[in-house]
Amino acid sequence: MGEKTDVWQGTLALMALRTLESMGPLHGYGLARRIEQISGDRLQLNYGTLYPALLKLEQEGFIRSSWGLSDNNRRAKYYELTKAGERQVKKAAAEWEQTTAILARFLTPAEEA
Amino acid sequence: MHTLRAFWIRLRGLIGARRNEEDFAAELASHVEMHTDDGIRAGLSPEEARRQALICLGGAEQTRQAYRERRGLPWLESLFRDFGYALRTLGKHRGATAAAILSIGLGIGANATIFSMVNRFLLRPAPMGDPTTLLALQTTHDGDECCNNFSFPVYTDIRDQAQSFSGVAAYFELIPASITGSGEPERVFGQAVTANFFQVTELPMVLGRGFVTGEESASEVVLGAGLWQRRFNADKEIVGKTVTISGHVFTVIGVVTPAFHSVEQILGTEFWVPLGSASQLATDLPFQASRGDHWLAVVGRLKPGVTRAQAAAELNTLAQRFALANPKTDQGNRFSFDQAGTMPPHERRGLVLFLAALTVVVLLVLAIAGANVANLLFAQAASRQRDMAVRLALGATRARLQRQMLTESLLLGLGGGVLGVVLSLWATRALSALHLPAPVPLDLRISVDWRVLLFALALSVLSGLLLGVAPAWAASRPLLANALKGEDALARPGRRISLRNFLVVAQVAMSVVLLSITGLFLRSLQSAAKIDIGFRSKGLLMMSVDPRVHGYTAPRTVEFLSLFQQRVAALPGVVSASATDRTPLSSTTRSEDLHAAGVADKDKHDVNAELFMVTPGYFETMGIPRIAGQDFGGETATGPKTAVVNRAFAERVFGGAIPIGWQVTNGRTTYEIIGVVGNVKARSLGEETRPVLYRSLQQSIANDSSFLGYTLVVHTSGNPAAIAQAVRSQVHALDPAMAIFNEETMEEHMRTAFFLPHLAATLFGTFGFIGLVLAAVGLYGVMSYAVSRRTREIGIRMAMGARPGTVERLVLRQGMALTLIAVILGWPAAWMLSRLASSFLYGIQPHDTMTFAVVPLFLASIAFVACWIPARRAASIDPMRALRTE
Repeated sequence: MGEKTDVWQGTLALMALRTLESMGPLHGYGLARRIEQISGDRLQLNYGTLYPALLKLEQEGFIRSSWGLSDNNRRAKYYELTKAGERQVKKAAAEWEQTTAILARFLTPAEEA
Repeated sequence: MHTLRAFWIRLRGLIGARRNEEDFAAELASHVEMHTDDGIRAGLSPEEARRQALICLGGAEQTRQAYRERRGLPWLESLFRDFGYALRTLGKHRGATAAAILSIGLGIGANATIFSMVNRFLLRPAPMGDPTTLLALQTTHDGDECCNNFSFPVYTDIRDQAQSFSGVAAYFELIPASITGSGEPERVFGQAVTANFFQVTELPMVLGRGFVTGEESASEVVLGAGLWQRRFNADKEIVGKTVTISGHVFTVIGVVTPAFHSVEQILGTEFWVPLGSASQLATDLPFQASRGDHWLAVVGRLKPGVTRAQAAAELNTLAQRFALANPKTDQGNRFSFDQAGTMPPHERRGLVLFLAALTVVVLLVLAIAGANVANLLFAQAASRQRDMAVRLALGATRARLQRQMLTESLLLGLGGGVLGVVLSLWATRALSALHLPAPVPLDLRISVDWRVLLFALALSVLSGLLLGVAPAWAASRPLLANALKGEDALARPGRRISLRNFLVVAQVAMSVVLLSITGLFLRSLQSAAKIDIGFRSKGLLMMSVDPRVHGYTAPRTVEFLSLFQQRVAALPGVVSASATDRTPLSSTTRSEDLHAAGVADKDKHDVNAELFMVTPGYFETMGIPRIAGQDFGGETATGPKTAVVNRAFAERVFGGAIPIGWQVTNGRTTYEIIGVVGNVKARSLGEETRPVLYRSLQQSIANDSSFLGYTLVVHTSGNPAAIAQAVRSQVHALDPAMAIFNEETMEEHMRTAFFLPHLAATLFGTFGFIGLVLAAVGLYGVMSYAVSRRTREIGIRMAMGARPGTVERLVLRQGMALTLIAVILGWPAAWMLSRLASSFLYGIQPHDTMTFAVVPLFLASIAFVACWIPARRAASIDPMRALRTE
């Protein structure tokens, strides 16, 4: 399982939300690096795809953005979770868990049934 | 919820795009810088670090594009761009655009106008609660075709016994009355209804309320909105006030919605009184307890959940039960129903036929207009083929180009739709102002409502798309190599029958049909104008009064009319005056079966004769020639009954002999014939000459009074309209409260009588003319295009020695061949369709030789002119210049 995996459709948004929930406000680059780190560098993230995803989340009202200064004193746009975003993380996480649980039943060996 | 919010933000994202763009550029720049910083820290050279950062980002421009697409709504943006581009293109070709919009506008205007008639008479439900549950009931008697009203006892039996209905109401359809108050008295018509009428019909009220149980005989009235506005200045405080109707005082309890003027939506009645108080207004109503007098119309509201089949079954059972209980009156009676608010089936049929004929015609107009516009779009597509080819070569998809072209034709369609609605607004107003020849008040106004608007919108979108499809398809696939070289890229080699030729053949063929129908109606109008009506059509003034609604007895009415006649005859400028119960050509019917008296039963044969009541001097006043015998004069109410008959009567009953001194009878009354006069058209222009019997008004008024009042006819030496005021003041000198109605000169009356042939000829003539012009323009356009395309070929021919005349003939031959094919196709179709029109024609056959011979020739000559102009142009081509171009 050494190969890097592409990000599945639709999961990037949940990863970003979850990361923002645990890490607090982050800029786009920091968020991208963070997601890679959390995945244990097993995810190959095309950084460019992150920004449309963030824009979509912002349009949907789950995150908000504002300009600030980075650790290295560079101007950067910071994203943080809104109240609706917090609710959305819980909801989406629960849905995702349910999906994987169902899928797991198909993939586990038959003798358990 | 969140998706909706995102959509809204994206929609807003379309505006202020530039600022967002800069914001995102800054964000990306900071991203790359931070990544580069990290790279340098990890030991890479600054250049390598920056390169890595950009690779990880996956391309700055792609990212920007993805971001842009997410920010706004790309499909909407490109749609806007398409519309903007289409508007600019259409704006550039102003002439063609105007022609296209005018063509489609005329077509859609015609269709919307006819549809507003269909909507008014066949589709629009009456404003009475849920229209599907309100049924209009009829009695049918075994063996009779259709339909009769109800007697009061039968109505109450149904009301009390039928379980299918939550309520059953009855009403008497037409009560003439005069309404007084401020201003001159006016004659209006009303209805008498059972107290539950407003509950059953669920009519919305503007003010106050309808009747309720317990008000069966109350002296109360509900006013129509039109009457309320006209006579009472839309007085908001009118409820509780009193009005005087035919001399009786009624308290106003409500004003009904303006949309309502009668249950079946045709009669224009304006007030409603309880059935029990109707006898104040109409003295000769049938006896309520009589089971045999059918005088009430009945409507029933279905209970929720009851189907029409169940109601029909129950009414059937009731009819059988009634027949057993009352065999004398109810034997053989059945009940049937229609949805209330629609016309009874037998009256509906003629109207449906008329509207169907009109619909065919206006669809033809639209199709001809559409073919024109499609041809125009083809020509435009041809002139833009290089543009298209370049865009294709640069990588635009065919679908993208087609969408672009369709957007344009859609815009044309919508533009035409807007013009069409404006035209139909004007046309419906003009049609509503027409006056139908009818003795009873009719409300036939038509208007453009939301259904008509929806229809026009659907039609314009549909025609816009349909017209655009073929040109768009053709334009989006030019032969690339040819187009880029500047040669014709739409003409496929080896294809002789082009779509444009097909369109023009279809167009001309449709005009053959259209023009044939138009020709028939014009011929019909022409033959109607030649009809000999049998009386003076000029120099007559007519004015009606109804003394009965003012409480006059028969002798008082006679006295009033003869005093009036004397006073008017003494006015300067008046030659003579007379009174009658009905004017000819008013679509009134009053007839009786008569036969010669004193002949053996086997020789007696009845003729159905029209009855008129007249006072002495009527024939001279009307200009009806007196052939034999004498006029009325000196008859008394109790003396022996006398009559004057027309020539047709004498021929039918007495075989052409002059029957002075003979007697005719209807079995109850016997008349002695004292004179014979010329024939007249009695009911309507189109009728076969009918036998007519004139009775003395003095002798007949008592036991056979006129329901619709009496008309004074005045023969003047000058302009009859000029003495109208003097005649009116004579009426009011005799009785200030007397309402005057139907005041008109005979010229006006004749115009009304010509209503149907006139309306038909006007409508069809207009549509036919529009169709002809459109088709001629279409043919001209196609031939011009053909000539311009063949410029080089013609140039070569002429350089090789062809003479201008030969070239001219070449073009003409092509155009006339198309016309000939079209006539061959269209003529039989017209022949078959003309039968649709047959019932509206006066004095000519649907397969009128004249029309069917002249129309193809006429059309061919128009086509000849349309082809001749481009042919001339072809012949004047200078071979040198033609060969040098391109």
